[in-house]
Amino acid sequence: MRLRCQQFLNNFMQYKTAIGIRRAIEAKEITAIEVLEHYLEVIKNKDNEIGAFLEVFENEAREQANKIDNMVATGQSLPRMAGVPIAIKDNMLYQGKVASAGSKMLEKYVATYDSTVVDRLKKAGAVIIGRTNMDEFAMGSSTETSFWQKTKNPVDVTKTPGGSSGGSAAAVAAGMVPVSLGSDTGGSIRQPAALCGVVGMKPSYGRVSRYGLIALGSSLDQIGPFATTPQDAALVLEVIEGLDVHDATSVELTETTASELIEENFNGMKFGVPKEYFVDEMDSEVKKVIEEAINQIKENGGTIKEVSLPLTEYALSAYYIIQPAEASSNLGRFDGMRYGTRALSDNLKESYLMARGEGFGNEVKRRIMMGAYVLSAGYYDAYYKKALQIRQMIANDFKRVFEEVDVIISPTSPCVAWGLGDKFDDPIAMYLADIFTVSANIAGIPGISVPCGTVHGLPVGLQFLAGAFKDGKILRVAAAFEQLKVNNS
Amino acid sequence: MPEIEFNVDNIAKLAMLDLTDEQRVLFTEQLPSIMAYVSKLHEVDTSEISSSAYLTDLVNIVQADEVLPSSEELRADLIKAFPCEKGDALEVPAIFE
Repeated sequence: MRLRCQQFLNNFMQYKTAIGIRRAIEAKEITAIEVLEHYLEVIKNKDNEIGAFLEVFENEAREQANKIDNMVATGQSLPRMAGVPIAIKDNMLYQGKVASAGSKMLEKYVATYDSTVVDRLKKAGAVIIGRTNMDEFAMGSSTETSFWQKTKNPVDVTKTPGGSSGGSAAAVAAGMVPVSLGSDTGGSIRQPAALCGVVGMKPSYGRVSRYGLIALGSSLDQIGPFATTPQDAALVLEVIEGLDVHDATSVELTETTASELIEENFNGMKFGVPKEYFVDEMDSEVKKVIEEAINQIKENGGTIKEVSLPLTEYALSAYYIIQPAEASSNLGRFDGMRYGTRALSDNLKESYLMARGEGFGNEVKRRIMMGAYVLSAGYYDAYYKKALQIRQMIANDFKRVFEEVDVIISPTSPCVAWGLGDKFDDPIAMYLADIFTVSANIAGIPGISVPCGTVHGLPVGLQFLAGAFKDGKILRVAAAFEQLKVNNS
Repeated sequence: MPEIEFNVDNIAKLAMLDLTDEQRVLFTEQLPSIMAYVSKLHEVDTSEISSSAYLTDLVNIVQADEVLPSSEELRADLIKAFPCEKGDALEVPAIFE
C-alpha cells in the first residue's frame, strides 16, 4: 500500500483531475481509497495554514471510497464521479453533519436530510471529503465574515482567497481536493476562483436545485463547481444539474452540459467585449492581462466585437438592494425557535431579539437592516421596486447583446487578491469587488471564471458569460481557452 | 429620490435585531453611506418598465399536499434539533400574555 501510494504521488499529475481520477480507478491503475488517502494527507499537511475546511468527513469518505473499490473488484459499471473526492460549502446540507453556513447561529445545527446536490453526488459515486469555510450566510467577498476562521489564499497566504466560497476555492487551489462545490449569489464562486487561480462556474438560474442549500437571495442563488479544468467543472455540473421536484425554480433541461462534447476551438464564435467593463476603477495591470487574453482569442479564430451594456454601473446598486431584501426575509427563520440556540427569556419578542442579536455577526446584521429598510413601507417603491425594474432592464440588455454575440468576455474581478483584513472595515470597498460578477445573477445567466495570467504573481480571472441555459457554450469556450494556454506554454 | 432617513434603532427593531453599543455606532456611520451609494439607481428612468421578482418564465408550480411516511429515526433527529422541547413537542414562549 505504501509503495503504491508513493507511485501514486509520483504519477499524480496525471490523476489530479476528476476525470483522470475516475478513469484511473476504472482502469485499476489506482484504488478509490488510495486517491482518498492522498487527499486526506494533503489536507493534513496544508490545511492548518490555509484554513479551507471546517470539518473533514474521514469516516464517511472512507466508507464511500471502499464501496467504489468494491464495485471495481466485482466488475460493476462505475457511476460518473466514482471515487472522485469533492468538498462542499458549509451551507449545503449533508444528513447527519453540521451545516453552519459559517455562522454561530447554526453552530449546532445537524442536517436531517441531504440537499439535492449532495444526494446526486453520492449517487454519482463521488467521495464527499468535508465542508469548507465561507462568509457568514455567504455574505462577503473575502471569507473573513465567517464566525469560525479566516481562510488564506494558497497562492499567497497573506492574501484573501476571495469569497464567499473562499474555502471551496482555496481547497481546490491548494490541491486538497480536485473539485468542490460553492454557491454564487453575486459572484461567490467566480470571484474566489479568479483570486485563487482555479476554474469556477455559476450555472444559469434554475439549472441546479437549491433544495437543502441555506438560502441567501432566492432569486439569485445558484450552486456550481470549482475545478482545475473546465472539463471537470462540466462533469460536476452534469451530475448536479436538472429538474428537482423539491425546488420549484429548477428547470427541466433540454440539453445537458455533456463534458465529452467539449470542442476546443473558437472557430465561428462571436465574442462581445462590453466597453462599460473596462472602467477606470479597474487595476491597470489586470486590464492589460485581460486585453492580452482577448487578443489571443482573436488570433485563434474568435471574432471580437465591442458591445454595450449601458446599465452596468447600476447593477451593483440594484444587487445590493435586492439581495439584502431577500436575505432579510430568508433569515427571518433564524429566531432561535426551531434552530440554533434559544435565548433565555420568557418574553417572545425579547427572545427573538436576543437570539438574533447574539447569533449573527456584523455583516449579516448590516444586510438584514438594509433589507428591512428597503422593504419598509416608506421606501419599498423607491428602492426595492426600482431595483427590480433596473434588473429587468439589465436582463433586456443582455438579451439584446446575445442576439449579436455568442459569449461576453470580461474580467471576473477588478483587482487581484488583496491583503487579509484590507477591506474588512469598509463595506462599500468590499461590495465593489463584485462589480463584474453581479450582473450574471441579476440576469439569471451562466458565467465561468478561468485563470488567464498573473499580476505580481497573483492570479487574474477571465469571465465568460452566455445567454440563459447556454452553460455548455461557456464551458466549451473555457476549454478552448485552456487549450490555448497549454499550446502556448 | 427620497431623502435618506436612517434611524438605526428603529430599523434594528423592525429587523428584530439586538445591537451592541459598538454596532449601533458602526451602523449609524456605515448604513446611510451604503444607502447613499445604492441610491445611484435613481438616475435611471424606469417609468416604462414593469417589475417582477423572478426572471424565468416559470409560473404556478404547485403540487398536492400529501402526507408522506417518515422514519422514527428522522423524527427523533428532528426533535433532537429543537432548541427546547417538552416530550415530543417543540416548546416555545407564550405568544399571548
